Amino acid sequence: MAEISFPLPDLGEGLIEATVLEWLVSPGEQVERNQPLVEVETTKSAVELPSPQAGKVVRIHGGPGDKINVGEPLIVFEVPDNTAGIVGTVPTEEAPKRRVRLSAVLDED
Amino acid sequence: MSGRHTGEQHSHTVEGTDPQLYVEVHEPQNDAGLRPVLLLHGFSSSSKLNWEDTGWLAALLDAGRRVITVDLPGHGRSGAPEDMDSYSPSRIRADLLQIVFDAGARPLRDGDPSSGLDVIGYSMGSRLAWEFGATQHELVHRLVLGGPNVADPLADFDLVAAQRYLADGTPIADESTAGLLKMAMLLPSNNIFALLSLIEAIKTEPYDPAEAVPHMPMLLVAGEKDDRAASMPELAALGAKAGAMVEQLVLPGRNHTNAITSRAFKQGAISFLGV
Amino acid sequence: MSNSILESANAAASTSAGTPASTTVMSMQQALNRALDEVLAENPKAVIFGEDCGRLGGVFRITDGLQAKHGEQRVFDTPLAESGILGMSVGLAMAGFHPIPEVQFDGFAYPAINQIVCQIARMNYRSRGALPMPITLRVPSFGGIRAPEHHGESLEALFAHVPGLKVVSPSNPHEAYHLLKHAATRPDPVIFMEPKSRYWQKGEVDMADGGTPEGAKVMREGRHLTLVAWGAMVARCLQVAELAAEDGIEIEVLDLRWLKPIDAGALAASVRKTRRAVVVHEAPLTSGLGAEVAQLITQSCFDTLKAPVERVTGFDVPYPSGDLEDEYIPNIDRILFGIQRVLEYKRG
Repeated sequence: MAEISFPLPDLGEGLIEATVLEWLVSPGEQVERNQPLVEVETTKSAVELPSPQAGKVVRIHGGPGDKINVGEPLIVFEVPDNTAGIVGTVPTEEAPKRRVRLSAVLDED
Repeated sequence: MSGRHTGEQHSHTVEGTDPQLYVEVHEPQNDAGLRPVLLLHGFSSSSKLNWEDTGWLAALLDAGRRVITVDLPGHGRSGAPEDMDSYSPSRIRADLLQIVFDAGARPLRDGDPSSGLDVIGYSMGSRLAWEFGATQHELVHRLVLGGPNVADPLADFDLVAAQRYLADGTPIADESTAGLLKMAMLLPSNNIFALLSLIEAIKTEPYDPAEAVPHMPMLLVAGEKDDRAASMPELAALGAKAGAMVEQLVLPGRNHTNAITSRAFKQGAISFLGV
Repeated sequence: MSNSILESANAAASTSAGTPASTTVMSMQQALNRALDEVLAENPKAVIFGEDCGRLGGVFRITDGLQAKHGEQRVFDTPLAESGILGMSVGLAMAGFHPIPEVQFDGFAYPAINQIVCQIARMNYRSRGALPMPITLRVPSFGGIRAPEHHGESLEALFAHVPGLKVVSPSNPHEAYHLLKHAATRPDPVIFMEPKSRYWQKGEVDMADGGTPEGAKVMREGRHLTLVAWGAMVARCLQVAELAAEDGIEIEVLDLRWLKPIDAGALAASVRKTRRAVVVHEAPLTSGLGAEVAQLITQSCFDTLKAPVERVTGFDVPYPSGDLEDEYIPNIDRILFGIQRVLEYKRG
C-alpha cells in the first residue's frame, strides 16, 4: 500500500486559504473518485471539494473552523501499489487466449 | 460531474428580444423519472458558483434528477444587455418560463410524476422562485427556497453612492450597500455595471412576498447565523395562509454564505422534491 | 539495497531459491524509481523535473519520494509546457548538469519536438563537441491503459529518425532498472521510452548483474522463427512463443531494447539460425521501425531467409480511444497469423 497526500487545491481568483466547514468523509472510509470530501469556505464562497481519486482515507487535516492554506495537506489516501495514475487504468494480467493454431511442415534443411 | 449536459447561449426570443441567457440542461445517468429541477442562483453568483462548485448539481444528478441551470442576466456566462428592461424581475420570470418550456418542462398532470417543474432558489434566486411559483402554479410542483428574504436587501441599495465609488472611490456611507458592492467586486467575472442595472431594475419592481403567494408545497431553508432564519416564519405564515404546505429547516452553525454547501440542505431538498 | 525509496518494495522483496542474493522482486515502477534514486545519489549533477514529478511523485509514481529525499533543487515540478521542459534541459546540459526530464505522456512530446530535434539532438554536432547534451528524456510510452488521446502513442520511429538521438525501451523491471541507470550515465541524449502498460507488472531484478546494457537481448531461444519486439510487445511475444510451442513451433524472442542504434548483429545472428522473422510493434505500419528491422534482416540474411520478413503492427490511423485499443494493438491472434503467413510462404 502507498499513501497519497492531496493538498488544498488552488480555488482560483487568488485565494490563498480556506476554512473547513464540515468533513463529509472520515478516516478509515473508502471513497470513490469525485465523491464529495469536504465543504470549505473562502472569502468569496463556499465550495464542496470532490475526491481526486478513489482510496481509503488515512488522515484528514483541519476540523470545522480551521484555516488551511492552499498547498497544505488536506487529506491523505491509502491506495494499492498497483493503482493507476491520474489517467488510464491498470491492465489486468490475463492468461493468454488464442483462437489461431499454427500448422507447418518444417523442412529441417 | 456525472451525467451528460448541453450548454447553450439561450437564443429563443421573448417578446421580440433575445435575453442572452446561458442555459444548461444536465441529464442524470439514471433518470428517476421525475420532473426537471430548475436552479436559480443568488445575486453576484452564477450557476457554477452557486450550484456546481457547491456540489448541488452532482447531488441532484446522483438522485436521478434532470437539472436546468441558468445564469441570470449580467451573471456567469450570460450576456449583459444594455437595456434596463432585460433585468426587471418580471422580464426574467418570462425568460425563465420560455427556458423551462424549451428544456421540456410541461404543466402538471395528475398522476404523472414527470410533469411539472421543481424549483430551487437561493437568496435572490429564492425571490424569483417565490414569484415564479406564485404566477406559474399550473407548472410548478414544489419549491425549495434557500436563504429567502421577506424584503429585498437590494431595494435599499444606494445606487448613486455605488456609482460614485466606482467613478472616483468616494467611500460608501451605507453599510449594506458597501457590503453588497464589495461582494460583487470580489469576482472578476462579474459585470459590475450589469449588476447595477439589475439593482436599478429591481428597485422599479420591489419584492413584496405578500403580493403574490405560491400555494404549492415549499421548503424554506436558512443558516442559523443568517438573519433570514429569524424572518423565515413570516414567509411560512404567508404560504400557509395561502394554503401551501410549508416546511422549515434551519442549518446549525451556518450563515448566508456557507449554508449553500450544507449536506443537510441538499439532502433535505432532494427528499422534499423526491415525491 | 542502499538508497531505497520505496520501503514497500523492500518489505515485499523476496529472494527465492536459486537466485542470487542481489535479486529482488519489484514492479517496473519500483525498478525505475530505484534507478533514479541511485542516479541522483551517484551523480550530483543529475536533476529530475517535469509535470508533477516533484511533490506528487509523478502520475505513475516513478519519481515518488525523490523530492523529499534529494530536495527541491534536484527534483522539481515544471509548468505545463513541454517546450519549456526540454528547452530548460538544453540550458542545464550546457551548464554541466545531467538533466533527466520527463514528458508526462508520449503525445505531450509533440510540443517539444523543436527543442528535441533542433537543439538537443544536434547541439554536440553544432558545437564541434564543445556542448554535449547528456540528457535522459523519460517518456511514458505506448498504449494499453485505456487512456484518452495523446496517451497511447508510439514515437520510436520519429525519434530514431533524428541523427544525434539514442532511443531505448525496457521490456521488464530488470531491464528498466539497468537500462535507465545506463542511459542516465551516457554523454549523449537518450530517449527512454517506458512501456506504461508494463509499469505494474512485477519481476525479478538482479541489482548487481545487469549484463551488457548495449544492444539487443534474446529473451527466449528458438530455432524456427524469430519474433522481434520491444517495450510492452516483448511480453506479448513471449506469450505467443509459449503458445506456438504447443503447436511444435520453437520461437526465438529478440528484445531489441535499443531502437537507435539497432543491434543489426543480433538480428543477423538470430535470423541466420531461425531463417524466418516477424517484427511486432504498436506503432502504425507505414514507415514504422518494423520496416527498418525488416531491411536490416534482409540485408544480412537474404540468402537464408525462408520468407519475407512479416510485420504485425498497429494500423495507419490515429491511436484510437481506450475502448478500441484491443483492436489496434497487435494481439496474440494477429501475431500468430503473422507467424503462420511466414511458415506457409512458398517461393516462386
